[in-house]
Amino acid sequence: MIRKEVLISGFGGQGVVKAGRILGYAAVLAGLRATMLVSHGTETRGGYVRSQVVISPEAIDSPVAEQPDVFCALSQAAYTRFRSLADKGLIIYDDGLVVPDLSRGGAHLALPARELAIARAGSELCANLVALGAALRRLPLVPLECGLQSVREIFPRQGEATARALDTGYRFIPADHPGSADPGQRASGKGGRAIPPNRRSC
Amino acid sequence: MRKLFDTGNAAITEGAILAGCSLFAGYPITPATEIAENMSRRLPRVGGYYIQAEDETAALHICIGGSLGGLKAMTATSGPGYVLYADPYGWAIGSEIPVVIVNAQRVGPVSGITGAPGQGEFYLSRYPTHGGNFETIVLAPNCAQEAFSMTVEAFSLAERFRTPVTLLADQLVTDGWESFEIPEDAEELRAAGLRVIPRYVHPGPRFYPFEDALDVPPVVLGCGLGGACSDWTPTEEGYDTEEREAQMQHAHRLIHKIRAHRHLIDRHEGYGLEDEPDIVLVSYGSPSRVVRSAVTEARRQGYSAGCIRLQSLWPFQDHLFRRNAVYLAVELNAEGQLVREIERAARRGAHFFGTCGELPSVAALLEAVRRLGEGHAPEPARWEREAW
Repeated sequence: MIRKEVLISGFGGQGVVKAGRILGYAAVLAGLRATMLVSHGTETRGGYVRSQVVISPEAIDSPVAEQPDVFCALSQAAYTRFRSLADKGLIIYDDGLVVPDLSRGGAHLALPARELAIARAGSELCANLVALGAALRRLPLVPLECGLQSVREIFPRQGEATARALDTGYRFIPADHPGSADPGQRASGKGGRAIPPNRRSC
Repeated sequence: MRKLFDTGNAAITEGAILAGCSLFAGYPITPATEIAENMSRRLPRVGGYYIQAEDETAALHICIGGSLGGLKAMTATSGPGYVLYADPYGWAIGSEIPVVIVNAQRVGPVSGITGAPGQGEFYLSRYPTHGGNFETIVLAPNCAQEAFSMTVEAFSLAERFRTPVTLLADQLVTDGWESFEIPEDAEELRAAGLRVIPRYVHPGPRFYPFEDALDVPPVVLGCGLGGACSDWTPTEEGYDTEEREAQMQHAHRLIHKIRAHRHLIDRHEGYGLEDEPDIVLVSYGSPSRVVRSAVTEARRQGYSAGCIRLQSLWPFQDHLFRRNAVYLAVELNAEGQLVREIERAARRGAHFFGTCGELPSVAALLEAVRRLGEGHAPEPARWEREAW
């Protein structure tokens, strides 16, 4: 199916909605259709937030990500709540915040998003973009360039730091990881701590 | 065309600005707050007025006042505010004042859950006020693109029919983000099949014609020969009357100006209907998108299924339900509203599939189609069985 579903979830303030918005606009820049459903409680800060993004070259029927191809888990609560949906997709989780349950199926990628955001973009506020960058690798429909342009337009003032965060995430995912969209090629960034399904990394 | 990725609320705002809206009065409420927020930024830049009212009743009264003063006006709310429109809504219908009303339905009753979609105002949008003797015009978008175009159309219909038009959306349409395009010049507007009707001024003196004529310019107080406007049954000149004959003629006009020209309002989208399917799923608004996915999958699995999506709700399109098929209404409420109207219009009755506060899953709809294919009614949800 050409349709791609992405689920991003974490707690309020992590930029879950912003990441979805950047992805959706990147898809528009790539000439695609996109939808995003946002759910959160009345009080957002600290509460649970989820954005479901669907991307397709064709008109999108259901905007619900019932079986996400990529799930970015930015908090333990988000991971626990939605991991079962992504059994057939790639689960990208921040290993500083989430302890994964690898007893069941689903490809996992441990991504130190917060750590990388501080190191490369100078702020943990960019962790969402590091995670989104890694997700983009799984979405060949949306070229990295469109992602970068989207970031620069949505953050006109912090453009370069945020673009760096996105790029860092994109290059983190190793070429031979099941989550990589181009398993034949060598990734240009450093190798990630990839966990094959059903195996713990350490 | 300008390409955007934004909410349905933003699409509605853009549609209103393009249609020439120059007055917005409203009271913020999730999931329609963004319309007010966007209008407060956009209107001053185009020479329009934004007014935050003290409540929804005042908001629609302000819109009516603005419209009588020659401005195209809009207000936006959700269910809890839509009920407060009851009084001014009736005035706008009776005195034939064009105004556009957006209702982003959320789950209820009363405040319900602010950030969850609902479809509880299907009948309320038919009877938004007391007194009877009228028809209403209600459009129902299911995506941001349509939220944009239907807002433009709602303004045109309001002007042509001289009546309030409700855009009955839901939380997923208004709060949901989506890619959509908006025309940037007259040519692109035409290519998109849209038309902006300017506000004409009635020359007078027969402001309230008793026929079902379309395109009678609305009353703008102080313009032309001047007109009177009150909430009583009017003479043709707009003065109060208690003549029963005038009341009959007034009612006839309010009903038949809409019924006689309903071809300008009626709209629907059919899918898989050409091969006369045994099962037809019916929906409007955001559930229709899941329904379409489910029907595509059901057909792939060999079921004889199709679907109808209502893009205009009122006047109700009875003629769509004359097929020799089993209808299944899919709604975002637990009691069934649309299903009752289909039951009235359809030969073989209708079944109901409702969810409360969230979209149904494709899998659940497929199961309902499978059961209907075997001659059973869809299984009610467990909580429904327990509740009874």
